[in-house]
Amino acid sequence: MTFEDKSPRSARAMARLLHSRLLWICAVAVIAALTLPLWVSAYLLGVLTAAYYFGIFAMSWDLLFGFAGEVNFGPTFLIGIGAYAAAILNSRYGLSIPLCVLAGAATAIVGGVLLAVPALRLRGPYFGLVTLVAVLLLLNAVVIFAGVTGGEIGMTVPDVLSIDATTNYWIALAALIISAAILFGLSRSTLGLILQASGQDPVGTQALGFNITKHKVAAFCTSAAFSGTAGALLVFYMGTASVDTVVDIAIGVQVIIAAVLGGRRTILGAVLGAVFLILATELLRPLGQLNTFVVAAVALAVILFFPEGLLGYAMHAGERK
Amino acid sequence: MSGPVRLRIRGLAKRFGGLVAVKDIGFDLAAGEILGLIGPNGSGKSTVMKLIMGVERPDSGTIEFAGKDIAGWPAHRIARAGLNMVFQHSRPLHRQTVLEHVKLALLPDSLVRLAAAPHIEERARTIAARVGLADVADRHPSTLPFAALRRLEVAKAIARDPQVMLIDEPFAGLTLAEIGDFSDLIRGFRDEGRAVLLVDHSVKSVAALADRTLAMYLGEKVAEGSTDEVMQNETVRRVYLGGKIEAAERSHVPAETPALLEVEDLSVLYGKAQALDRVGCVVREGEFISIVGLNGAGKTTLFNAISGLVPYSGAVRFEGHDINGRTVGAIARGGVVQCPESRELFTHMSVRENLDLGGQHLPPAARATHLEWLFDLFPILRQRQSQHARTLSGGEQQMLAIARSMMMQPKLLILDEPTLGLAPVILEQLSKAMDRLRSTSITVLLGEQNVTFALPHADRVYVLDHGRITWEGAPGRFAREMGTGYL
Amino acid sequence: MLTLQILIDGFAISSLYGLAAVGFTLIFGVSGVLNLSHGGIMVVAALVGWATAAEYGFGSYLGAAVGVLAGLGLALVTYFVVVRQIQNSRAIPKEETEIFVLTGTLLWGIMIQEGMAYLFSDNPITMRPLIAGVVNIFGVRTPANEILIAVLCWVVIGLLWLLVNRTGAGKALLAASMNPRGLSLLGFELSRIYLLVWVIYGVLAGVAGVLLATFLGVSSANAGQLTASAFSIVVLGGLGSVSGSLVAAYLVGYLETVTAYLIAPTLRPIPALVLLVLAVYVRPQGLLGRR
Repeated sequence: MTFEDKSPRSARAMARLLHSRLLWICAVAVIAALTLPLWVSAYLLGVLTAAYYFGIFAMSWDLLFGFAGEVNFGPTFLIGIGAYAAAILNSRYGLSIPLCVLAGAATAIVGGVLLAVPALRLRGPYFGLVTLVAVLLLLNAVVIFAGVTGGEIGMTVPDVLSIDATTNYWIALAALIISAAILFGLSRSTLGLILQASGQDPVGTQALGFNITKHKVAAFCTSAAFSGTAGALLVFYMGTASVDTVVDIAIGVQVIIAAVLGGRRTILGAVLGAVFLILATELLRPLGQLNTFVVAAVALAVILFFPEGLLGYAMHAGERK
Repeated sequence: MSGPVRLRIRGLAKRFGGLVAVKDIGFDLAAGEILGLIGPNGSGKSTVMKLIMGVERPDSGTIEFAGKDIAGWPAHRIARAGLNMVFQHSRPLHRQTVLEHVKLALLPDSLVRLAAAPHIEERARTIAARVGLADVADRHPSTLPFAALRRLEVAKAIARDPQVMLIDEPFAGLTLAEIGDFSDLIRGFRDEGRAVLLVDHSVKSVAALADRTLAMYLGEKVAEGSTDEVMQNETVRRVYLGGKIEAAERSHVPAETPALLEVEDLSVLYGKAQALDRVGCVVREGEFISIVGLNGAGKTTLFNAISGLVPYSGAVRFEGHDINGRTVGAIARGGVVQCPESRELFTHMSVRENLDLGGQHLPPAARATHLEWLFDLFPILRQRQSQHARTLSGGEQQMLAIARSMMMQPKLLILDEPTLGLAPVILEQLSKAMDRLRSTSITVLLGEQNVTFALPHADRVYVLDHGRITWEGAPGRFAREMGTGYL
Repeated sequence: MLTLQILIDGFAISSLYGLAAVGFTLIFGVSGVLNLSHGGIMVVAALVGWATAAEYGFGSYLGAAVGVLAGLGLALVTYFVVVRQIQNSRAIPKEETEIFVLTGTLLWGIMIQEGMAYLFSDNPITMRPLIAGVVNIFGVRTPANEILIAVLCWVVIGLLWLLVNRTGAGKALLAASMNPRGLSLLGFELSRIYLLVWVIYGVLAGVAGVLLATFLGVSSANAGQLTASAFSIVVLGGLGSVSGSLVAAYLVGYLETVTAYLIAPTLRPIPALVLLVLAVYVRPQGLLGRR
């Protein structure tokens, strides 16, 4: 007995259209992003620059959560390590920016492995707790070793990427597009398939012959590499590194919210979420203190009523019963 | 015709804390044969499968496969060595097509390969065709019927071209026709020279398929041999049926008594699986009704539907009122009290506290009298009043669960598999308690696999098989008609 | 002298930590919710209490009462608007409910914090102590209010104990934390049980917030930190264990006081953090946790 494919031609065509719907959305977004410097103020470009780096943080988080199925409550552990490593190397040893960024990424990867190997042995909420504790440790380490790190006030770095707002914008956008391409490609690759299966059905996937611990550690390292790089680049954009901008739990919270808001398991949705969050917070500044309130309220509403996230709904609206 | 021995198991044992799941299991599995593993709930057969697959580590014993002892190996290593399992429950990825699921099974365990080798797509399609999924290969799992999802699981296992296949509960949730087709598929694997180990609750279906059978009970082997031999084995029949079937022909409830509970056309779907298919039964006031059926037949699902724990289609009427849609608490307060198979005791509270919670809704005086009556019925509970529920033995816990349900002074008491995992001596005590219950005016609906326990007290018997009521009548008739055909 | 001072100060602080942590763990144990807006609820109780007492001049006692009521009200709003919505939502798969509740309560907590900052600015406020004066205990001069706080905390905890262990409703709560299905099969409405636990939680958080205001002072910026410290204490003590939270609260409270007095005030949070790290690796279920 075989099963007939009862779905009409139109449904199959629809599937193909959906795939290219994503393509269209991306194309429009990229073109819009590329042309922005022509008609937008330097101030807004600066906001978007920060938002793009945030987008990389959020995408890295989604790779870990949406795909490997691991909830990282302290993404700023990886971001902060990369950022501070780069900052310290630059200000103390005068290494060039590209070298520092690479070193930042490498340090973050090492940090990622040190965190992942013991943490992956724990189940459920305890894994999340370990990631949270890691951030607290980093926070306190920065404060204690204030001589090297500048403590709570932070430290400045002698080199910056550029003084020109437009150049900074291009760099951030380039980093975002490259990261998005790689991360999205990974998510659609066979490796991404294995990661998804590992996250959703660990026992079944192991029984198919996959060493899921190996894959999850690899996912951790990838997330670390991108977070660390973006963290380092952010430091060289702002010219300073401080706990408030790269280590604070509040930042980690925003990363998680951005990814969930944009849509879990979409990778690209995380960018949408990040841009929305940061832009909205800035644009609502005239409201004074209430801007964060409004943004949090909107994000809460999205979570309550559109749990698939912004991109999730854009892509799957119309599909399924 | 069976070939060389592929899997040799000796002395396998596993305990979970204080519970011995598998005591000392050993058997051989040869190429080109289907070995069926049967046993009631708690016999350890699923644990044996998990131990072989590496999902659990055995405490002791050897599992010889491909010339090596794979006991204690991680699951992925065992899978790559040529031993694969078809799981009962799986969570398919909703955003991937059937084909992509099969491709996953064909991928190497590599971190650096980002694209599948070119021939994999081709092979995936061939495998999908092999299991009958050729036409739906590009569809998503959420759009497919349940039987197709089961085939997908088989496709994933077969993709690895295993020498040994473990199949866990393949027939659960399938209709009779689908079971037939599925059995043909499994026979095909055997004919290809693979060694197949099959575990299922449906003894009939296993009997029709397996070349040899091994029966387990409480973690040990009780019989092994050709399927016919095992089915006729005295110990096996006792384990399943509980012993000789004897029943007194009695019903002291006149037929005109109004129905207390009416179940009509009840159907339950678990996701896509049909757990109950248009079940109907009637329980009259004062009657003791037994619903007999093997594990997995659907007794618990039926009771959960009546109690409001699972959604259903069809009608359930209690005292003439439709109770569909009422909350679980409301149904219980209304007089339909279930003592579930899993007992659901408050483990860290004392016996007395458990009982008090059952009697919460009674005025204190009534509660005290009722408690006394129950202590009389189950004297061991009076003795262990202040002990924590989790320190009680299995039999004592069951008595506590029943007593607690009784504290609610139910109009209809539903008992789900009270004899599960209990020693024969305890069954005696429970049986006596059932007798005393009979003498009160309470109406009882009993669900049991152990026919010997279920028959003596019953006014009428229903047989539930694979989600459907297949027989109904008086206990005496059951002994005469179903006696040998039941298993 | 110093030892005695440490003992007394530590006791007061620990009692307050304990009260705050007990509420947090109760909500987790019975309804399975890690409420990340916990600190926010405490802060609202404190600020509303202060406003009633000082701004509107109704006096400390009425202020305290109104503050507690505000905490209760906000807790209920949190339950109905945020938590229940997510738990009953059909669009969210069962396995992901927890992370959505976490994110949702997190966002709600941020909303509360920012809302309070808008209404009250983020300047710290202190409520006038409920009892004025200083008490001399073996030579150590302690504000009478501090003693009162410790006493009040224990009175509330004691009442909670009585409720859970001696009343029918309390026993039902306990049973719900062990086996909600079993409880509903005995005729209890789980929705009412959950309502009860959120009411109790609201009162606990409200009292903790108001007392904190009279002792150390509170500002809207404290909300996140209060949640974090309650969270760490609860994890240390064991998620879902009330006695565990109390033990952990005293451990942490005393460790912090000792550090502040004997080592350096700035290193106050360190020992607790080290303890937390150890706990997570050596005994993740906490001191007395059973899950």
